[in-house]
Amino acid sequence: MKKQEAIAGETVEALEARTPFRFPREMVIGLLALAVAWQILSLFVPPFIVPGWERIFKSLLTLRMDFVVITLVRVVAALVVSFALGLGLAVLMYASAPVERYGRPIVRLLMAVPVVCWILFAVLWFKWVEFRIAFVLVVVCAPVFLVDILDAMRGVSKDLRDMLRSFRPTRAQLFTKLVLPATLPAMLTSWKINLSLAIRVVTIAELVGAVTGIGYGLVVAQELFSVAEVFAWTLILVVLLFLAEAVLTRVEERVLRWRV
Amino acid sequence: MRGAGSIEVAGLRKVFHQTGTGEAVVAIDRLDFVVAQGDMVAIVGQTGCGKSTFLNILIGLDRPTDGRIAVGGRTPYDDFDHFRGVLAAVFQQDRLLPWRTAIDNVRLPLELLGRDPRDQLARARAWLERLGLGRFERAYPHELSGGMRQRVALARAFAIEPSLLLADEAFGHLDEVTAAALRQTFIELARTEGNTAILVTHQLEEAIDMGGRILVFGRPGRLLADIDLRTRSAASVAGLRADIQRMLQDNAADPRFTRSAKEQA
Repeated sequence: MKKQEAIAGETVEALEARTPFRFPREMVIGLLALAVAWQILSLFVPPFIVPGWERIFKSLLTLRMDFVVITLVRVVAALVVSFALGLGLAVLMYASAPVERYGRPIVRLLMAVPVVCWILFAVLWFKWVEFRIAFVLVVVCAPVFLVDILDAMRGVSKDLRDMLRSFRPTRAQLFTKLVLPATLPAMLTSWKINLSLAIRVVTIAELVGAVTGIGYGLVVAQELFSVAEVFAWTLILVVLLFLAEAVLTRVEERVLRWRV
Repeated sequence: MRGAGSIEVAGLRKVFHQTGTGEAVVAIDRLDFVVAQGDMVAIVGQTGCGKSTFLNILIGLDRPTDGRIAVGGRTPYDDFDHFRGVLAAVFQQDRLLPWRTAIDNVRLPLELLGRDPRDQLARARAWLERLGLGRFERAYPHELSGGMRQRVALARAFAIEPSLLLADEAFGHLDEVTAAALRQTFIELARTEGNTAILVTHQLEEAIDMGGRILVFGRPGRLLADIDLRTRSAASVAGLRADIQRMLQDNAADPRFTRSAKEQA
């Protein structure tokens, strides 16, 4: 009874504090203003340079939606492989200082190579188109996952580590009970970064040699001098990215609901 | 016979070397004392007198430079794994895992010990109830006040029924009323459970409130006085505060503090 009284004076802050859905008014107004400006510009500029929305939407209806699915599958599959590779190597480097000392410079080197060079290497080294695309995506995204996750693991609070160590965990327990959950926010952020990176990279990779996917659709549109179609594909890419980010944000809100 | 929570400290010394310069800094000069199983000991001293360094060595997180420290005859650093379930600590900050609810934080050490999941849950729930937090077992740390979070940390420490319980400035950052209530809870629980309890504090009142032994630490990490309140009359306890304060002031004015760290080493 006494204890109940003692805590009665203490405050419970933000119980059930969830961010309620809020209509993104500013974003919608900003984007609408841009769309209106575009439409006005299209009235004064020839349609093969700035096509109006009517032309763009007409093109949208003629696009092959299976290309969108193919590109998406390529991105998701490559990201899953990149994440598994990045996480695995991060754990290895975290567990062994020599592996990190030797591995870090290699990772930095890989990250310094421009995407275009990777695409050219892929074309020169590999025959199978799907493998070329997957190779480029993985070689670009896996190092980003690796560095983000490893840095997050290294940044786990010493206070929490000491607290847990005072209870004598095994190495596996220290990893699964502390390091891994503490790294989760960084993993999700890394997914967001890599998602936008992969969507941009996949279209460039598909420009070379692929006969399916959004990148290939863009090449065809460019060969036909159809600016409206190029814009339509671009619109799809942007919407895809927005949707994917929205999904990840929802996942983040659910998984990281413990955050303030 | 030596109990699992008894402590023997002999000639303990800890020297740190500064990164870059390599200059030696003496954190603990020499400590010698013994704590019997079930004793309640407050370690009091000014900031920088090596209290937390001593606690880290006692927990086994740091290795002493010289001398010996043993808990139940075993050294916490070298026999690290032996102390599974033997020792628990409450720190200045609650150090709760933010992604775990209150009950899951209390379950944590029980999970590490590999206890049966149903037992984990029952024990964690019982300890939260005992500390007045039964209604908040599903709350995340950020949803609780500072005092409530520290209660969860206390429940987590008590849940494994350790032989040795350590508290490092555990109530110092809370407001006076909450700190007093929690301190009382800590003392009562430690007494009931028969744990050896070491409370590190820079607050004299807190040390006196413990009502057991007071070890006064001076700079750099040495024992200025070993006072047993249980053998003192109420009148002499009243004068104690002034005595300890004088002792600490004299220690602060000790010319050895003006010596460089290199000379001290």
